[in-house]
Amino acid sequence: MPCAVLQFDRIALPEETETLRAEVRQFLVDNAEHLTRPNSDFTTGHDPAFSRKLGQRGWIGMTWPKCYGGGERSFFERYVVTEELLAAGAPVSAHWIADRQSGNLILGVGSDAQRERYLPAIARGESYFSIGMSEPNSGSDLASVRTRAERVDGGWLINGTKLWSTDAHRNHFMIALVRTEPPSDNRHAGFSQIIVDLREDGAVVRPIRNMAGGEDFNEVVFDNVLVPEDRVVGEPGNGWQQVTGELAYERSGPERFLSAFRVFVELVRVAAADARQDHPDPALQAAIGRLAAHLATLRRMSISVAGMLEEGKSPEVEAALVKAVGNDFEKLLPEVARLAADSSVAALPHFGVFRQALADTLLLSPSFTIRGGTREILRGVIARGLGLR
Amino acid sequence: MTDNMLTDAAGRIFADRCDKALLDAAERGEFPDALWRTLRDNGFHELAMPDSGVALADAFAVIGLAGRHAIPAPLPEALLANRWIGRSDRLVTIGQVLDRRIVEAPWARQADLVLGLDSARGAYVLVERVGDGAPALECGHNMAGEPRDAVPVPEGADWVPLLEPAFAYLALARAVATAGCLSRVLELSLLYASEREQFGRPIARFQAIQHALAVMAGEVAAAGRAADAAVDALDGDRFEFEVAVAKARVGEAAGVVAEIAHQVHGAMGYTHEHQLHHFTRRAWAWRDEYGSETFWQRRLGSHLAARGADGLWEFLATRG
Repeated sequence: MPCAVLQFDRIALPEETETLRAEVRQFLVDNAEHLTRPNSDFTTGHDPAFSRKLGQRGWIGMTWPKCYGGGERSFFERYVVTEELLAAGAPVSAHWIADRQSGNLILGVGSDAQRERYLPAIARGESYFSIGMSEPNSGSDLASVRTRAERVDGGWLINGTKLWSTDAHRNHFMIALVRTEPPSDNRHAGFSQIIVDLREDGAVVRPIRNMAGGEDFNEVVFDNVLVPEDRVVGEPGNGWQQVTGELAYERSGPERFLSAFRVFVELVRVAAADARQDHPDPALQAAIGRLAAHLATLRRMSISVAGMLEEGKSPEVEAALVKAVGNDFEKLLPEVARLAADSSVAALPHFGVFRQALADTLLLSPSFTIRGGTREILRGVIARGLGLR
Repeated sequence: MTDNMLTDAAGRIFADRCDKALLDAAERGEFPDALWRTLRDNGFHELAMPDSGVALADAFAVIGLAGRHAIPAPLPEALLANRWIGRSDRLVTIGQVLDRRIVEAPWARQADLVLGLDSARGAYVLVERVGDGAPALECGHNMAGEPRDAVPVPEGADWVPLLEPAFAYLALARAVATAGCLSRVLELSLLYASEREQFGRPIARFQAIQHALAVMAGEVAAAGRAADAAVDALDGDRFEFEVAVAKARVGEAAGVVAEIAHQVHGAMGYTHEHQLHHFTRRAWAWRDEYGSETFWQRRLGSHLAARGADGLWEFLATRG
């Protein structure tokens, strides 16, 4: 029988986050040299110097304990920092995955030694992680991954290939999901997560050029790559449960609906010029209102999920829903903007900047509904949450 | 009364007293007298009065439940009118003034008093509908079969200044009721998909249906969150913009949700006998009442254009 409708509680950000928000905005003004070509997509700017500055401010690993370099701050405070950075189009790609999920995984299930070794460097903005989940023949069907790690003298011997690992050619570590036991009737059993040092362990990293011309994602080949014993995160064999536990962090954040935000900003810049004319275009105004109504609502849904994380819950289904609705909005935004700002406003100031932002985002947009769980996988998760599967 | 006690009680009464037979009768023009007496006896028409002891937000929660149950009576109007004109046990409804007529007033044919709202003038007028000299009434209805009547504004009528953004309150009432209505449409659809069998299994087992229902759940969740946020903004200085967000977003969700619900229900949901249409037709009708999506999008968009690009994020990044 189907169960109740999903709930997104009315949660307001605590008042003290306003001070923090003002600090982040001032920081972005003071560091404008890092924002020469702003883009709200979280994968587009890899800037270690900027990440280190964030680390110095205590804005990476914000929710972690102080003994591991964290700030012991709330998920709401982290939320405010991340959304301000994305909205401004800051280059956050270098530390993003480490801050969002790798660090949380290590904190949650890693050993004390691993926490001490990896977390403080992440929090300083010096150590960057990539995700090692997909493979050439395993995308949405993650349980079919075939990369395996065998226990040998001196550690684990890894063989296989990981694919679509964003920034693996620039980052320091990957947390790879591997088979440590042969497949059995329980297809979710026998997985482990292993930290690979992408610069030292001998994995071969090959960037893959995307259709937009960027080289962000990679193929990572493991040919008898030996890593030390102490690289397994959590219990060997428990990898599947750990991976699915990361998903609420991975899927509900503001990066799941702000990827196209720069286009919106530039659209409003054009509309502001239009509004100073005698007969402002009502269709352009309606398009802006439509996008704002979507965005304001998605943001509140996302904050509801942050509130559930703050309460220690694991809102996997709600997170999938925010990502599904948010990704669809990220694709709607450039389409609505394009049709609203057509040739009738082409002579206005800033139109060229708008068209460039539109082109940049449109070329990235196919990835929005694929990365971090495809639209189809997310709808399946939601359907399960509704009691249909 | 706490929020939960009130909404629990309202939900129980609505569920007990409103069924398909009542909705069909109301659509034939029969006012639900017994239901209305129950609502009045329980003080529902007074919930939004400043001295009711109930937060205005909780009164809107009751309006949401009324939408969820498609209550065929002018509860939002009675509730808000009593807030503005003072307590009255008489049936009072609200319409909008257009060319010296009060139009689109729910159940004016039944009402003792009709409040005509003139937003441009920032004032309202009250028209007595009882006794000698009752003005000519024109009966009509919206696409959900809900009475939407018109009465003339009498010559020399007194205009009373509005102290609150009444049009926005009524738009919010529609948005909140629609969000409630859509949550019911989702539940009906989930239930139907799990019971209806084709090809030897419930259609809920088919991925195409699962994905359609997942999309619907996303829209219902967005509608609910948008409506809640506008209710939370009742006391704030950006209330009307939050109403714009809510009415625009809920209206957009209404179209998507109704379309998918009918597709999932197949021909069965297209019959008059099935209850689905009582909810989907209301969702379609309500999105056009007190400002369509386009109306509120323009209002919001022109404000944002005037603020300029650098003010966009500041506007969106609210605490609540």
